[in-house]
Amino acid sequence: MGIVILLLMLAGVGLMLTRKLPTAFTLVLLAVAIAAVVGAPFTGENSIIDTVLQEGAVAQAATMLAVLIGSWMGKLMAETGIASTLVRKIVEFGGDRPTVVALGVLLVSALVGTVTGSAPAAMMAGIIGIPAMIAVGVPKTTAAGTILMGIAAGMPFELPIWQFFSTTLNLPVDTVRGFMLKLFPFAVVFAVLFVLIETRRKGVEHTWSLAAPGERSAADRRRNRARQLGDAPWYALLAPLVPLVLALGFELAIIPSMLAGVLYALVTTTRPREMSKRLLRTLYGAFDIAAPPIALFVAIGILLAAVTLPGAVEALNPLVTAISPGHPVIFVVVFALLTPLCLYRGPLNVFGLGAGIAGVLISAGIYPAVAVLGLTASYNQVFGVADPTSTQTVWAAQYSGISPQQVMVRTLPYVWCVALGGLIVTAATQL
Amino acid sequence: MTRTVTAALGRLGRVRRDALRAECAPLAELDDVELGARLLADTPTHEHRDPALLRHWAETATGFGTRLRSRCAAAEPRVVERPGGIDRLLLARYVSRPTPTVELFTDTLALGEELVDLLGWRDWYAEGALRATALAHEDAHRLLHGDAALRRALRERLGHTALRVGRFRITGHVAGSEELAAHGYAAARTGLGRSPLLLTAALASAIRALVRN
Repeated sequence: MGIVILLLMLAGVGLMLTRKLPTAFTLVLLAVAIAAVVGAPFTGENSIIDTVLQEGAVAQAATMLAVLIGSWMGKLMAETGIASTLVRKIVEFGGDRPTVVALGVLLVSALVGTVTGSAPAAMMAGIIGIPAMIAVGVPKTTAAGTILMGIAAGMPFELPIWQFFSTTLNLPVDTVRGFMLKLFPFAVVFAVLFVLIETRRKGVEHTWSLAAPGERSAADRRRNRARQLGDAPWYALLAPLVPLVLALGFELAIIPSMLAGVLYALVTTTRPREMSKRLLRTLYGAFDIAAPPIALFVAIGILLAAVTLPGAVEALNPLVTAISPGHPVIFVVVFALLTPLCLYRGPLNVFGLGAGIAGVLISAGIYPAVAVLGLTASYNQVFGVADPTSTQTVWAAQYSGISPQQVMVRTLPYVWCVALGGLIVTAATQL
Repeated sequence: MTRTVTAALGRLGRVRRDALRAECAPLAELDDVELGARLLADTPTHEHRDPALLRHWAETATGFGTRLRSRCAAAEPRVVERPGGIDRLLLARYVSRPTPTVELFTDTLALGEELVDLLGWRDWYAEGALRATALAHEDAHRLLHGDAALRRALRERLGHTALRVGRFRITGHVAGSEELAAHGYAAARTGLGRSPLLLTAALASAIRALVRN
């Protein structure tokens, strides 16, 4: 039976890779198929309807809410000019030194990404940051990579991610935070190394371009919107730090911390009589941004519910036990070599089938949940930057005028090292 | 660009050529400072700036480049000529690594020469001047790239304050100013009658016309 489940998973990967079916739909289909082959009843306890579809669909509710509030804050930071002011100030201070400007944009991407999530952060930091970097001579691929590596540097502190791992792996947020603190130095060091090495290796590039002012893109129109807004006050620029300080420094729960960030961004930028209108408008706008990840989290919850059904665990246990390395060194070597399998929506992508595999590893008792956290969080660092199918990578590449594959090739060595660091920490402390 | 543009202006019909002339005529009526201000306005970080300030910066940066005309970058770069500029909307490109290289896009240069004739702008842009201008433009970027003091001098000349605390003041970088200085330098070195920015804008119109054709 375990083999049948693995074949179903393989078919699911095929559907996702060939883009025959969107990831979320594939995961739901896969979940129902797994539940059916392990003989789960239609209704009742451990059933397809009540357990997999009903309980699974809402299992990630806290994550979905965190994603929504993150998008809300992102929308607010964009509308009030906080994000654009941050980047503009970095360019003004960094000035004519491409490396300094790139390091500044890296910092802004990391900071914004911690609260808004990866895709909105790429857009907020990139809309001004990418052309600004190119204008001071940073080559296009390095500019796109800088935005993504910045997001990856902030990813260990991305609050919706904490909530996701906490819910998915059934771990307290404190435990997730503890591991992320260990992963953070690797993410930061390799992000900074990316900027320093790539700006040195590729040098500067200046073009005499014919791009006509009349040919305005959607991004230009967004810039024009910023034109009407002007600079946000300096104290409003601290807004992305508020949720981080509360959640990390004061160990406050994730959702209240993020709500505090929303309120801070609002009161520091908005006149009292406009507050309620702006709050509602940005909240409704946030639903558009948050819709794709929320749909994915519904599907992930459903898949997790299916692979943790007693029948599925029983079927997969011998197989997974046989192929999972137990020795810490082999664990690091094997999973480091398997890292590319999280790209292109591959089977180790934690926001896809990888979540199901993580669920199997825990429910079958192969590795402690904290070790699975280490494994998946390490892979997430790779997926979030180098996967040519992830929203932020596609957006940053296209906005820079290059292909997502070029970004993947340039950034993969660095994020692979981050994943290796995370795997070593995991093996050293949890196995 | 959605498709390769290989056509020359001769392939445009009379109506389209007239339309292109009509589109470029108002550009020629703009003064060079206004063209510079428009370049700055389209450069990120200047979204909310006062147009008068942008004009002031455009004039200052272009003038800074003009005054550099007697200087040359230390070493001659490798010059590579290749087609493919029209598709990428590029006239020239300078890369500092692995070897300092100036790439000149021959199709764009040829189109530029043809366009000058079509628009009757020979008094401003002499025959073959565009290639020399492109080389000089990238030369200016090499000069600025290799000389921190020069970049600082440009920043001081522009006088944009990024931060002021009492008497303490930090001058900020004006994005796009180096590009304007490079155009000013190139125009002065090659003795152009108008800014290269005018021809840049006209070339963009010509490429749009070719694509539509």
